[in-house]
Amino acid sequence: MKMKYIKSTVAIVVIMQIFVSCKKDFLELQPKGTTLEDNFYKNEKEFMQGVIAVYDVMQWGNTGGYTMKQPLLSAASDDCWAGGSNASDQPSWVAYDNFNMNSFVGPQGGLWSKNYSGINRANLILSKIDQSTVLTPAFKTRIVAEVKFLRAYFYFDLVRWFGNVPLIVDVLPTDQLYKQTQSTPALVYAQIEKDLREAVAGLPATISSAEKGRISAGAAKAQLGKVLLYQNDNAKLAEAATLFEDINKDGNIYGYKLMPVYADIFNPANKFNTESILEIPHSNNAAWGDWGWINGGEGNVAPQFIGMDSYVGDTYSSGWGFCPVTLDLVNALKTDPRFSATIIDGAALKTAGATYNQRYQNTDYFIKKYAPLKAYRSTVGTAELNWQINEIEIRLADTYLMQAEALVKSGSNPTRAQALLDAVRGRVGLTAVPATLDNIYNERRLELATEGHRFFDLVRTGRAVTVLGPLGYKAGKSEYLPIPQAEIDVTKGIIKQNPGYN
Amino acid sequence: MKGRFTFILLLFSVIFSLRVSAQEIEATGKVTSNDGLPIPGVSVLIKDTKQGTATDQNGNFRIKIPKPGTQLVFTLIGMSSQTITVNNGQAITVVLLDSQNDLDQVVVVGYGTQKKSVVTGAISQVKASDLENMPVTRIEQSLQGRTSGLTITTSSGQPGDGATLRIRGTTSINNSEALYIVDGVQVGGGIDYLNQADIESIEVLKDAASAAIYGARAANGVIIVTTKKGTRTGKMSVNYNTYLGTQEPARKLDLLNATQFATIYNEAEYAKTPTLTTPRFPNPSQYGEGTDWQATVFNNSAKIQNHELSIAGGNEVSTYYSSFGYFDQDGIVATSNSKYKRFTARFNSEHKITKAIKFGQTIGYTRTNSVGVGTNTEYGSPLGRAINMDPITPLIETDPAKFNLPPYSNQPVVRNAQGLPYGISTIAQSEILNPVAALAVAQGKSWSDKIVGNVYVEAEILKGLKFRSQGGVDLAFWGGESFTPVHYLSSTFNALVNSYNRNANRGLFWSLENTVSYNKSISNHNFTALLGYSAQKNKGESQNGQLQGIPVENLRDASLRFSVPKENRDFGGGEYLNTLNSSFARLTYDYDEKYLFTGIIRRDGSSRFGSNNKFGYFPSASAGWVVTKEDFFPQNKYLTFLKIRGSYGVTGNDNIGDFRYISTVSGGRNYTLGTAAGLNIGVSPDALSNPDLRWEETSSTDIGLDATLFGNLSLTANWYKKKTSGMLLQIAVPGYVGNNGPIGNIADLENSGFELELGYGKTIGEFSFKVAANGSFVKNKIVYLGDDKEFLDGQRVGPPGLEVTRTKVGYAIGSFYGYRSDGLFQNQSEINGYVNEAGTPIQPNAKPGDIRFRDLNGNGLIDPNDREIIGDPTPDFTYGLTFNAAYKGFDMVVLGQGVTGNQIFNATRRFDLSTANYQTSILGRWTGEGTSNRIPRLTLEDTNENYNRVSSLFIEDGSYFRIKTLQVGYTLPNRLTQKAGISKIRFYLMANNLLTLTKYTGFDPEIGGGSIGIDRGFYPQARTYFAGINVGF
Repeated sequence: MKMKYIKSTVAIVVIMQIFVSCKKDFLELQPKGTTLEDNFYKNEKEFMQGVIAVYDVMQWGNTGGYTMKQPLLSAASDDCWAGGSNASDQPSWVAYDNFNMNSFVGPQGGLWSKNYSGINRANLILSKIDQSTVLTPAFKTRIVAEVKFLRAYFYFDLVRWFGNVPLIVDVLPTDQLYKQTQSTPALVYAQIEKDLREAVAGLPATISSAEKGRISAGAAKAQLGKVLLYQNDNAKLAEAATLFEDINKDGNIYGYKLMPVYADIFNPANKFNTESILEIPHSNNAAWGDWGWINGGEGNVAPQFIGMDSYVGDTYSSGWGFCPVTLDLVNALKTDPRFSATIIDGAALKTAGATYNQRYQNTDYFIKKYAPLKAYRSTVGTAELNWQINEIEIRLADTYLMQAEALVKSGSNPTRAQALLDAVRGRVGLTAVPATLDNIYNERRLELATEGHRFFDLVRTGRAVTVLGPLGYKAGKSEYLPIPQAEIDVTKGIIKQNPGYN
Repeated sequence: MKGRFTFILLLFSVIFSLRVSAQEIEATGKVTSNDGLPIPGVSVLIKDTKQGTATDQNGNFRIKIPKPGTQLVFTLIGMSSQTITVNNGQAITVVLLDSQNDLDQVVVVGYGTQKKSVVTGAISQVKASDLENMPVTRIEQSLQGRTSGLTITTSSGQPGDGATLRIRGTTSINNSEALYIVDGVQVGGGIDYLNQADIESIEVLKDAASAAIYGARAANGVIIVTTKKGTRTGKMSVNYNTYLGTQEPARKLDLLNATQFATIYNEAEYAKTPTLTTPRFPNPSQYGEGTDWQATVFNNSAKIQNHELSIAGGNEVSTYYSSFGYFDQDGIVATSNSKYKRFTARFNSEHKITKAIKFGQTIGYTRTNSVGVGTNTEYGSPLGRAINMDPITPLIETDPAKFNLPPYSNQPVVRNAQGLPYGISTIAQSEILNPVAALAVAQGKSWSDKIVGNVYVEAEILKGLKFRSQGGVDLAFWGGESFTPVHYLSSTFNALVNSYNRNANRGLFWSLENTVSYNKSISNHNFTALLGYSAQKNKGESQNGQLQGIPVENLRDASLRFSVPKENRDFGGGEYLNTLNSSFARLTYDYDEKYLFTGIIRRDGSSRFGSNNKFGYFPSASAGWVVTKEDFFPQNKYLTFLKIRGSYGVTGNDNIGDFRYISTVSGGRNYTLGTAAGLNIGVSPDALSNPDLRWEETSSTDIGLDATLFGNLSLTANWYKKKTSGMLLQIAVPGYVGNNGPIGNIADLENSGFELELGYGKTIGEFSFKVAANGSFVKNKIVYLGDDKEFLDGQRVGPPGLEVTRTKVGYAIGSFYGYRSDGLFQNQSEINGYVNEAGTPIQPNAKPGDIRFRDLNGNGLIDPNDREIIGDPTPDFTYGLTFNAAYKGFDMVVLGQGVTGNQIFNATRRFDLSTANYQTSILGRWTGEGTSNRIPRLTLEDTNENYNRVSSLFIEDGSYFRIKTLQVGYTLPNRLTQKAGISKIRFYLMANNLLTLTKYTGFDPEIGGGSIGIDRGFYPQARTYFAGINVGF
């Protein structure tokens, strides 16, 4: 090639390089109108929004099927039937009620997905906090504690419902997405305890009225005590009792006191009352209307479920007729002063002129705690999805009874145990009974009826086969839900099914 | 003084001597085509010399020849060369015929051109001469029936609507739109903006070997359009083409009249309640014929007109081509709301700055104005309503006894010009309303302004070494407005407050491309090398606003300026942005045009690809062997040319959306806090990110041959197989991950096919004719959709959302999915006898006249698992036939086109609505044993779900053959027109869609657009009659 050719070629290549040189910037674009994960979590406001998103999961009632804890667990227990319009209305509830879930049918998909969504959001915040240098120590301490509490909360549900679950405490790198294996319940509990202990240390004792609903140190202690008690490990009873005593004692620093009137605990007007330790708030603020993504709203969908179908009458708004109360619970409470605050007597309402449709498994008795009240029916959004009725997950009477149980089991302070049991009974005008385990368990059923404790209480105390056996419960199987089949399929069998399910 | 004289004398003698030497013979004449049209720009050379000239705009030439008996060679690309011996000075007429074997033609290959005889890829070409005088409303349609390897299905007959165009099958489950390159500029939104008369050629790059030069954008095939340039003849030519036409629907459906409708409805009611005493429509004959709703929405004389004026010319330094076009078409359905107007202007020019440097530009401007109606929807399109509306309700309520009652008396009902209300049905349900009243309240219009152009400099630095730099732009503005007045159409469809929407959008695409090419021949080794670099950016924005309750009553008066309360205002918008940065190289080599090779590599970097895959490489290689050039190949007159070629290449599809690899966060993950229940905003990531996200990739193999047989029969055959891999789907992640999986490159599909093109032409005296035929087989198959997926959801119909199509592994994309009908139960014993292996009755609740569904899984029940693939909306075979003939001044062309092997799902009737009208074929329903084995009994209680299950009952054969175009023209003899200074004047008559042969029972078997092959009341193509004139000056 002649020199001239070479010169020209060089010149052209140089010209072309001028354009090539801006290549990198030219292809690195940022979308507008949306925020990137990489650019978010810059300041306290954004971190707080991230923490709120973790809290958000606590109030989800529908993730791949309806999974509101209180009515769902009531249906699983001997307190309620599944109900609804017919057996195929909510097959997963009916299956749980009858303990004939399989890997496809049952509430497992929604519960698995809900709790891991919460864990994912929590893990993300914890990893982002590690990278952040702009947060004040006080802010950081508190939100780290809150997020750890929440992570423990979700794992506690997972371990109770599924037993062996993958224990993920970091944001998963891409190459690890499909490689997680299940941990034993013991390991999961160890992580829950660790998170809760760290949470307790970083949380405030009390929450200002504007922030009610955020987690306090009291709530974390109660949750930790509950977690310890659930492990049926005698070595952990003393610590549990100590934690509960801190909450339950008169003049506790958290301001907890039994409500003088039992029914007032569940009155939506008395949100965050003195007896409430862990409360999940709901509102109609989002004025929600999307049935396809109910979790996007802030309303409580449980009241809609348990309300009487097509009810016309005073006080209540109509619902869908789920969770009719079993005659077993009705009889247990019949002479109890707490009956009228716990159960709606449909027949009595009808006598008074009200009407409603009898639905599947109708008993004419309905759940009264957190029932849909006319006065709280939302006028914005879709009313069914916007019930502004909070639900209390842990309240003082519960921690009284848990402390009594821990004390009786460990045989350490029977006097205190008796006093706690007496206090719960005394509030509703019942006389003392001896603080035996049986009496405490019975008191738990009556005091906490339909509040979502009964099923796990039966399981953890070994009474489930006796009580629920006639309903289909099988030892060694029904303690846990099946692992969702999709989970086994997508991991190509790395995730293993629970015993007894196929 | 003397000196001056001497000088003049000398000058004179020089001139004289020149005159003496010019005493050679002058040859004059004219070059025409076989239909007598003058051909400009034909090279006229004295044989074996470089002396010569070219014909002017009128085809005339004048050349001095040294002696009688000189041979002149007339050549023009695309025409067969002619050699004529000139004996004396008489004017001669030379007729140049289209080159039959096409081998001398030049095809555009992307960043260059190539002689067809040495092309090694699979490229189809449509030339200006094929398009001229053949009106189509959109350019894409002109490819239909003319080229192999393309499946073109009209999106609808609505003016301005496009066509669904697939090159060698549907290449992706996501975006399968071909890449359009006009004069080297990528254009978005199709090529409907082009004026047909401006087009020089359209090339379709079908295989990866030819398309790979466009790399990451080329997987769906490339369509290259080149617009006309001026000629260097020194004369200006002016052409004016116009046509006027009238359009009508080719077919109307036979629907039940009011009496039949009432009778049929009553029958269904009795079937449900045999004890019924009074049916809903007692004494059906009282309703008479009723209303013909189709007549209220169809227009049998919708007008269409087109005007094209072009001016072209140039000289050795500059050439220019300018044109203006105006096109106006009314729709045959709901004409008031279905119209399209297009104005186009073009200016192309090129200038030689020096001998080696050229500078030029092409600029096209297009403005469109249109209004449109729903074209294929069961939710209230004019035709859907006309088909389903009960014939009992009158178009206009003239009975005072009725229109003085509610709703007429107390609701804002829609009225005609005389103030009479349009009939409101008490029978029809849901979206089925009086179609004319509904059109009156659907007020809207759309507009667009688009400028596409390029500017380039080309320099030949050294012989064979060319540098070209081109800037291109596609700037489009488009928008629309709509107004819904206060109205009452039914208790469900009404508005108490009016609303007005307006949107405006802007899109800008620009590109900058530099190429350098070098070609060199060393003895018989011919090389061409091309190197290029390209950068492009595509961005745009949209904004829209809505006002409610403004104080006007129609669109004309509506304005966004009205002040309304804040809650009655709404404003929104968005934007998009992406960039592409590429370099590419091509090497073409041949040895004596016998052994051919082309290799291409392109490297594309795209803003759409994830950080781990910013750049992709797209290579291709192709080779050819011209067997007939071998010395050993015997000379014969049967096979004069044979080229065997093969190619393999990889291309990409970057139409994967912007920023899909990034994880974004969104709000709405809120929580309530505080005793006062305050809402707290929560934010979290929407899905996992996927930094590995990349283009969808298609690799394709092509084996083909080009041959010329018997001297004038040309044949091209291609076999291909192309595999698309990594099509985007959401990746399934385990639930424990706790968030949605990202979009990832997952799915695979395959297309394979065979194509054949044949051409034959002959001239017998003054009669000449040409026949061209093409046919294409294509088979599409989904190979893989991910470990977790066997199928993807497809189309659904009606409010019950019945699943009609599925994209299922092992089958063609979007195949029909449903139950198999096995005829009807004729009597109870057939029902009792329809049992499974265990002896269980399969349809115990069926009644005689119900469909016997096939229990495909043999479980003794008819349940959703008894569905399977029951049809495919995509044709297996498409074909086209063109016949041209000319005799003296007359010319004619017939274009026929058809498809076979596809099915149509007929969803024209709303079976979810008991009062929807029927086609008269329902009169052949089952009414007793032996009456029908296909059309089930009618009942209002369809417990067997005869009509509410997707089954083979609704599947029809979609094959058709259509005389797309029939045209007869006459050109006035030259001697008559020349005196008037007119070089050509031609009149023609033409019909489009004159005849369609099909078994399909709906309006039109060609159903494209968003729900291909599903007829929801499809807006059919018009049958059109045209009369036109072409004039050239």
